[in-house]
Amino acid sequence: MAILQINEVTKVYEGKVTHRALNQLSFEVEKGEFLAIMGPSGSGKTTLLNIISTIDHPTSGEIILEKIKPQNLNKTELAYFRRRQLGFVFQDFNLLPMLTVEENIVLPLTLDNQPLQVMEKRLAVLAEQLGIESILEKRPNEISGGQAQRTAIARALIHQPSIILADEPTGNLDSHASREVLELLSKINKERQATIVMVTHDPIAASYCDRVLFIKDGEFFNEIYSDDRRQTFFQRILNVLSLLGGQVGDLSTIRLP
Amino acid sequence: MTFQQFAYRNVFRNFRVYAAFFMASFFSVFVFFIYSMLMFHPASEKGFLGNVSLLGMLVAEVILMLFSWFFIFYSMKAFLEARSKEFAILLHLGMEKKQLSKLVFLETMLIGTISSIFGIAFGYAFSKFFFMIVREILYLDELPLYFSWEPFVLTLTVFISAFVVISFISVLMTREAKLIDLLKGQQYINVSSGYSKIRAFLGIFLIGFGYILAIITTFMTLPILLLIIPIISTIGTYFLFTDTILAFIERIKKRKKVYWRKTRMLSLAEQGHIMYSNRKMFVVVTLVSTLAFLCVGVLSALSSYTSQYDKLNPLGIIYKGNVDNPYEVAHISSLIYELEEAGLSYNLTRFVVKRQTSTHTSNSVEVFSATDINQLLFSYGYSMVRLEQGEAMFIAYSDDSIKELENTTVRTTLKENNVDLVINSVYPKLIFPDAIISRNAIIVSDEDFERITKPFELADIVMPSYHLYAFDIANWAEAANIGLELHYAVAEAYLKDSYTLPFYFENAGLNYSYILAAYSLFTLVGLLVVAVFLLAAGSFIYFKLYTSLEREKKQFDVLKRMGLTDSEQKNLITRYLFPQFFLPWGLALVHSIFAFLVLQAILKNVMNVSLGKEIVLAFTFIVMIQVIYFYLIRWRYIAHVRS
Repeated sequence: MAILQINEVTKVYEGKVTHRALNQLSFEVEKGEFLAIMGPSGSGKTTLLNIISTIDHPTSGEIILEKIKPQNLNKTELAYFRRRQLGFVFQDFNLLPMLTVEENIVLPLTLDNQPLQVMEKRLAVLAEQLGIESILEKRPNEISGGQAQRTAIARALIHQPSIILADEPTGNLDSHASREVLELLSKINKERQATIVMVTHDPIAASYCDRVLFIKDGEFFNEIYSDDRRQTFFQRILNVLSLLGGQVGDLSTIRLP
Repeated sequence: MTFQQFAYRNVFRNFRVYAAFFMASFFSVFVFFIYSMLMFHPASEKGFLGNVSLLGMLVAEVILMLFSWFFIFYSMKAFLEARSKEFAILLHLGMEKKQLSKLVFLETMLIGTISSIFGIAFGYAFSKFFFMIVREILYLDELPLYFSWEPFVLTLTVFISAFVVISFISVLMTREAKLIDLLKGQQYINVSSGYSKIRAFLGIFLIGFGYILAIITTFMTLPILLLIIPIISTIGTYFLFTDTILAFIERIKKRKKVYWRKTRMLSLAEQGHIMYSNRKMFVVVTLVSTLAFLCVGVLSALSSYTSQYDKLNPLGIIYKGNVDNPYEVAHISSLIYELEEAGLSYNLTRFVVKRQTSTHTSNSVEVFSATDINQLLFSYGYSMVRLEQGEAMFIAYSDDSIKELENTTVRTTLKENNVDLVINSVYPKLIFPDAIISRNAIIVSDEDFERITKPFELADIVMPSYHLYAFDIANWAEAANIGLELHYAVAEAYLKDSYTLPFYFENAGLNYSYILAAYSLFTLVGLLVVAVFLLAAGSFIYFKLYTSLEREKKQFDVLKRMGLTDSEQKNLITRYLFPQFFLPWGLALVHSIFAFLVLQAILKNVMNVSLGKEIVLAFTFIVMIQVIYFYLIRWRYIAHVRS
């Protein structure tokens, strides 16, 4: 069953230079799927993510998330929609500096005015699952990048959203922390049946997913599904990327160890 | 493109960025110039401001100058901080530090020159308006607009030199941040919330102690407390902002049931951060605002006193002499001579006032005869007094006492002469100014007055009776120069341990001219200082907001993605801004209210004026200005965050 449907979505930026960021893009995301979206710079990945996040509106086409069409909602309803249905993980974590780790995590629940018991219960479960119990009292500037991203993931999970949107979650992490975070995302995907859509440049990150969707110049380019071995999946991703062209810098030279 | 062109285009193509700094400079110049216009007014040499001394104005001008400098320096610093990323790009592109200083210097001079020119131009345009206000306040006949080079040169010199110095200093003082941090923007601001429990307690304790001292101040303890209270309160205010508020916020944070609710968590956490990182600014704003409020309060008090002076002092000149006063005839004839020389019409009433002991209170009373009083009342144009034998009437000493005595009936006997009296009414207007006659004064019928022949029982200690000469002068303000010699003699005798002169002299016109002079000085200095202080206090907060805008914007972007509704965002912004505005100002207001309790204690003794109404009015006005200011800045802030 598709949890997210993107139907013929087109986004045109009007301005002095009209720019077509997305062009009749269509795809579906199944419940419990871990999807990676790849593409060269300027291919419309971020625009796509913004449209799914409902903070940007498509010029034409429609999005259906859990049978809800966000384009039919007003501003306040949209905010409530984001608050309950979506979880976000950002490249630069975007933890709020004046809140402690645990406060950052429960923030979505406090905004939704949940009772304290629910917050504490969910926090305890998540903290254990993500291995961040020891840093709950610390502030974002006192923890490492990997810990910060795990905190951000916990924040994206605590309100049990229908879908988690991750924008380059490993972009600011070293290889060790990257692997930790990716394994964590894939574990959550398996254990909690969480649906994750991840935009990434990094073929290694993409190789953790069930499916990789490639877009180029705002249009669908290709998609490949994972197989039994991550090694070969990674190779296949690289093959598509080389076909995709783009620029040299977009092709990571990193190989798996 | 030359370097100068670069600086020029920087300023003119991003004028929006520079607007805040420009406005700050513009207003400083504007106010300073208008004031200089007044100071150099050709009429001021002829003493148009009455006795407002040029020195007082000069001092005010210097204070104003120093404060404007500080203000510009502060705005400049905030402005540079907000632009640090732009500078980082330039440094990254290979600009030398020296060139950067030159760029900042050129830009500052450009903005400075333009704002000076605009400030002076607008200042000149508005000075006629300002002169009109001054003329109204000081009751001057005319205060024409004039043109002279002095105010222009003074303002230009003061501000151009200020811009030169400040642009150098602020570049020198910008911290040598790492280029990388500047470029990427600091990932995490330094959040800390260190506070000490002792100091947190001291903050509350010292302020409370200061307030208690203010309440229990009496006329006697005043000089010592006047020194102690401001010091205690200042230290208390400092600790309050550095520690007490943080301690308070931390306490709430520990109670998750309260803290983890809706947007409260965000607003409280942000509040803690704002309080911690701006604590020193808040102390300055509080103290500056307190001063401004005090100025406003004193002004309104003085204005009420001056306007009431007319009513409190119905008489022009009063001469009071003992029965055996040897100078009486000489003094009175010289006063009459002076009055006639000056061409002033007057109405002289001579009173014989007898002192007796009342059996009702066993205190002394001063007794006036109805005929004498009626003579004075006739010249005032008030209604006459008609008394039967055995009837008497109170003479009130203040408006309050009229109300109090209205329904009082006293049966008493004048002990020495056994005259029975029923005192059942009060004269409904003030006849004599306060402190001229005793507070126990009555009018009796002429028949009863005749019967008082035996002197006061304590005649050896207190003079049993005295003569009072009341000169009713219609335009007593013009009689300020009458009897100057007597005035000085009395003033000198007053400074000695005991008053030994056999006479007393009071000239309302002269006193009024002193009061008016003090009032004028206070008004001119006060209004200006208040305007600048209030403006600056608000701007400090605005500039602080401006520097942290980028960070806030990003934060609100994240929150928006997480599902913060627009109305919640607005709510949150209000909660961020509200304490920043109203905590310092609210505290300043409370501070000044307690300061006025002290002042009231003094004034009750000296002037017999109640300040309540005027001060409430003035403070309501201030609060209104602040609310408008708050909404203005909130509006701008929301627009910035959402853009």
